[in-house]
Amino acid sequence: MTLLPDRRLRFELRELLLVAVGAAPGALLRWQAAVQLAPAVGGEAITNLIVNLLGSFVLGFLAGPIPRRTALVLCLGIGFCGSLTTFSSWMLDVARLLEAAQPGAALTLVAVSLVAGLLCAGLGLLSSRWLFRRR
Amino acid sequence: MRDVLLVAIGAVPGAWLRFRLVNHLEPLVPRKHWATFAVNITACFALGLISALEHACGPRPPLGLLLGVGFLGSFSTFSTFSVEVLQAWLAGARRQSLALLLGSVVVGLLAVMLGLWLGA
Repeated sequence: MTLLPDRRLRFELRELLLVAVGAAPGALLRWQAAVQLAPAVGGEAITNLIVNLLGSFVLGFLAGPIPRRTALVLCLGIGFCGSLTTFSSWMLDVARLLEAAQPGAALTLVAVSLVAGLLCAGLGLLSSRWLFRRR
Repeated sequence: MRDVLLVAIGAVPGAWLRFRLVNHLEPLVPRKHWATFAVNITACFALGLISALEHACGPRPPLGLLLGVGFLGSFSTFSTFSVEVLQAWLAGARRQSLALLLGSVVVGLLAVMLGLWLGA
């Protein structure tokens, strides 16, 4: 006898559980990076940038030919990386720089995030392809 | 300890909602990355609104941690955005890729500003 006889329901619960298990530590890491590192590196805009780049690398890696892909993408990709990285805080950081009449800094934050974000995603993908290269 | 719980309690439904929304929107939009786009823009608007309300009504740290850091931080995602821009580019959909890149930044910034303005 199983508690959840419906296979589809069990499958969906497993998906949600995997996402949740990744999401909580991802958000906590982003928050603690802001609390602990922000004074040292010059503000939350920089710690948000750091976690965004880290998450882009890891998600790029997961986008490659990794083993056990579905579970890892759900837990580490959609859960952990999705939660660790943040688009909304990035845009809020840019808007605050604009409000503070620092358009140069705002533009730099946009440009560096985009260029470095794509580079990190690409590096992640390449290293994954290199590690799990199909023979 | 309470703060840890607040962030985590906000983060889990944020990630669930993003996951479910992207899966539900996928058949409706031409490519999956436009669903991520919709999620990110919505989060930008909401974060702008919350940030302006905090500014106007005085900071409410528990609410900011739960909704701003936890829920919206988790709901919106930069990593999926950058990987999807890269994948669209590598798949040869270069105009889509550029449209997603520029559209996300421009519309995201406008959404945050709209939220900030409405909440002020």
